[in-house]
Amino acid sequence: MFEMNTAEPMQVDVPLEDNENNETECYVVDNPTLDLETYAASYTGFAKLYRLMFVADHCPSLRLEALKMAISYVMTTYNVSLYQTLHKKLAEAVATVGLPDVAVQMGSQDIPVLDSMWVESKTKKAAIKLEKLDTDLKNYKTNSIKESIRRGHDDLGDHYLDCGDLTSALKCYSRARDYCTSGKHIIMMCLNVVKVSVYLQNWAHVLNYVSKAEGTPDFNEVPGKDSNQSILTRLKCAAGLAELATKKYKSAAKHFLAASIDHCDYPELLSSNNVAVYGGLCALATFDRSELQKQVIVSSSFKLFLELEPQLRDIIFKFYESKYASCLRLLDEIRDNLLLDMYLAPHLNSLYMQIRNRALIQYFSPYLSADMHLMAAAFNRTVNALEDELMQLILDGQIQARIDSHNKILYAKDVDQRSTTFERSLAMGKEYQRRTSMLILRAALLKNHIHVKIVGREPGPQSGEAPGSSTSLAIRSYETVPL
Amino acid sequence: MASPLEQFVNNVRISSASGNFRELYEMIGKSEEVLQRNTVHLNTVLETLDIQQHSLGILAVLLAKFSSPQGNDVDRSTMYQQIHDFITNCNGEQVRFGPDLYADLCHLLTDYLIEQKQPIRGIEILKKAIRKIQLFDSQLTSIHADLCQLCLLSKCMKPALEFLDTDVTGIGSELGGVNDSKHFLLYYYYGGMIYTALKNYDRALYFFEVVVTVPSMVVSHIMLEAYKKYILVSLILHGKILPTPKYTSQVVFRFLKPLSLAYLELATSQHAALKHREVFVRDKNMGLVNQVLSSMYKKNIQRLTKTFLTLSLSDVASRVQLSGPAQAESYVLNMIEEGEIYAMINQKDGMVVFLDSPEKYASPETLSILEQQMAACTKLHQYIQEMDEQIQMNPQYVKKAVGSHDEDMPATSQKSIAISTYSM
Repeated sequence: MFEMNTAEPMQVDVPLEDNENNETECYVVDNPTLDLETYAASYTGFAKLYRLMFVADHCPSLRLEALKMAISYVMTTYNVSLYQTLHKKLAEAVATVGLPDVAVQMGSQDIPVLDSMWVESKTKKAAIKLEKLDTDLKNYKTNSIKESIRRGHDDLGDHYLDCGDLTSALKCYSRARDYCTSGKHIIMMCLNVVKVSVYLQNWAHVLNYVSKAEGTPDFNEVPGKDSNQSILTRLKCAAGLAELATKKYKSAAKHFLAASIDHCDYPELLSSNNVAVYGGLCALATFDRSELQKQVIVSSSFKLFLELEPQLRDIIFKFYESKYASCLRLLDEIRDNLLLDMYLAPHLNSLYMQIRNRALIQYFSPYLSADMHLMAAAFNRTVNALEDELMQLILDGQIQARIDSHNKILYAKDVDQRSTTFERSLAMGKEYQRRTSMLILRAALLKNHIHVKIVGREPGPQSGEAPGSSTSLAIRSYETVPL
Repeated sequence: MASPLEQFVNNVRISSASGNFRELYEMIGKSEEVLQRNTVHLNTVLETLDIQQHSLGILAVLLAKFSSPQGNDVDRSTMYQQIHDFITNCNGEQVRFGPDLYADLCHLLTDYLIEQKQPIRGIEILKKAIRKIQLFDSQLTSIHADLCQLCLLSKCMKPALEFLDTDVTGIGSELGGVNDSKHFLLYYYYGGMIYTALKNYDRALYFFEVVVTVPSMVVSHIMLEAYKKYILVSLILHGKILPTPKYTSQVVFRFLKPLSLAYLELATSQHAALKHREVFVRDKNMGLVNQVLSSMYKKNIQRLTKTFLTLSLSDVASRVQLSGPAQAESYVLNMIEEGEIYAMINQKDGMVVFLDSPEKYASPETLSILEQQMAACTKLHQYIQEMDEQIQMNPQYVKKAVGSHDEDMPATSQKSIAISTYSM
């Protein structure tokens, strides 16, 4: 049967030209030019399943193919419930497509049918294996050999993972923690937990365990420099993913940039291409010019990543060379494919927005005044749309400029430092006075024990109700007077 | 004359002569019932006492006379005159032993005048009354709230300003302690309303903020109304709802916010004004809401001045969501005249040219304003330092600070507040 080793599953090498079919042709969202087979081949385990399912959900033209691949892959695992869900989805997909054109060309006979025999035998086998592992673990525990108990937990975790029970898997992996005897074990444990947490999308957990692994005392003394590098890369990738998912694009970029291409073998989570795309886009959106040059363009390690994604490399170079129009056009072209990436898709819009804003800011930075007609041409926009964009940037304080709407010229703002200093100090003084007098009043208030309370207990003027509740009606009757 | 009353008069005389006012005050507290029961004879008692020498006694008698539930109408007609005389002629130092009685007397007068719909008559008396009982100018008494209420009712705001403009540094004892916070809340609520009426929104916001941040365990209606107005004034002044300080009690977030949803919505959509019109009218806040709306247009136009050098009037109208160039022109024109923006309208092309503020901060006037501001800041700073020193010399604080270090948290908390402002 299929035996899965914890961290290093047997898997074909990551193909170098994965998304090579990003031809310049324009396409609609329904019609991406993604070679599903090569795409799927770069992942294993849940990453593959989830990604295929994501594609199936978001791209009708690839739905059948994706589901078929997912099903044939899930047959190699114990994940019975997912198998059933996939079949349900497949049935729906077939029904909606209505067979004629898409299914015919694929040959409707190779749509797999639900194999209940397989389900039954798998369920049984899974149960037997679970029982075996359980008894093994119990035996180890009675013998209290730490190392064996740890392995027992790990094996159990692997099995749960194989069955698709992520929470139980996470529990087992975390339990192994108490039986770790060396730094290496701790790191292995952390990697396992990180992996499952990513599947569960529990990003805080991911970051937590990444830092735990990095903080392990003999992290740097793990035998074999290579394995050390590969562990480091894995941790960086996982951390990058977590930061990306929590919208901290800049630190995400930094994490991805720290990955090393020679050791980037992490098909359970992401491919090297993913690292290139995620890192490149995040860097583009958040780095300033010098950072971009130093850390991305001349970085020897990340250069290799970018070679995997020639289009993205072009985009970054075009951006750096201030050829914004073609840069933005290229970005739009790869947009559809990126939208099929489950981790990137939710952030794509804001990343694109940030890249665009950054381009606008950089475009204007050397000028004192700029013709908005030319600028609009450089950004593939109408003048009015550009004006709106610029207005937003000016209001956010990202561009120091003002628009001459009559002549359509953008002028850099001449800031009078002296006046602004005066203005700000006066405002600060006012603020200080306001806060301080509030503070003095509050001190007096506390000193006199004034607070809103129920006055029923004391023989007060009105008993049993919050102060003022009886007066507020009286107030209302002439409330409008001052207006 | 009934014998308990005679005894009361004797007691007042003896204690007043020997200067035992504290005892006298306690005695008055006990004999309240006696006075209440014999309202008919109180006028006779008054005649036997001297207003200067026996102020405290007279105060007690007056209070009993006017607060007695069965008091007949004849009594009331003389009330204004009698209280007026008393406040003008009484001995301030003596009265200070019974500030709560004194304040109650003023509250009675206020209620009476409001009932008679003659609020303006009380303003002068109350001003005098406050000055008499105050130990220093910046002390807050519960009579302040009455004064503000009368000013509001009589639509005569100016007299209250001399009190409102002074920042409070001390609070009269009758306001705190076991008494409830009603008058404190009311003073700041009314004060905020007066400033709002005078369009001094900055100060109004400060007053409403005080109300909202009073420590509280339960919801007060005054607080709720103040919070609503806080939102409105904040919108007028800043175009958004300013967050309340950290020390705002949880009650505000838990109860006040859900109760003023209509107002919160106003910040995000202009349609809220129409949608919740009933609520605003019921709360008698419609006038302010209308001001919020017009100030939002103004804020948007002011934002335009930051981003544009020139803009056509029709663009102004569309960006600010006004009905057309004509309305935009009138808004811009008004704002130029009121000095809220610096701009010129070119009617031939229908363009607005936005200019920079002509203020160059070089004139002697600006410098003198700057100096005044600096002096004010220094003064506040000194005051804080004095407060800090007082705390440091407080025996309780010293004992805790020197003693066990684990338990000195409550005592130092005030000090740390003081310190945190220095670093601002």
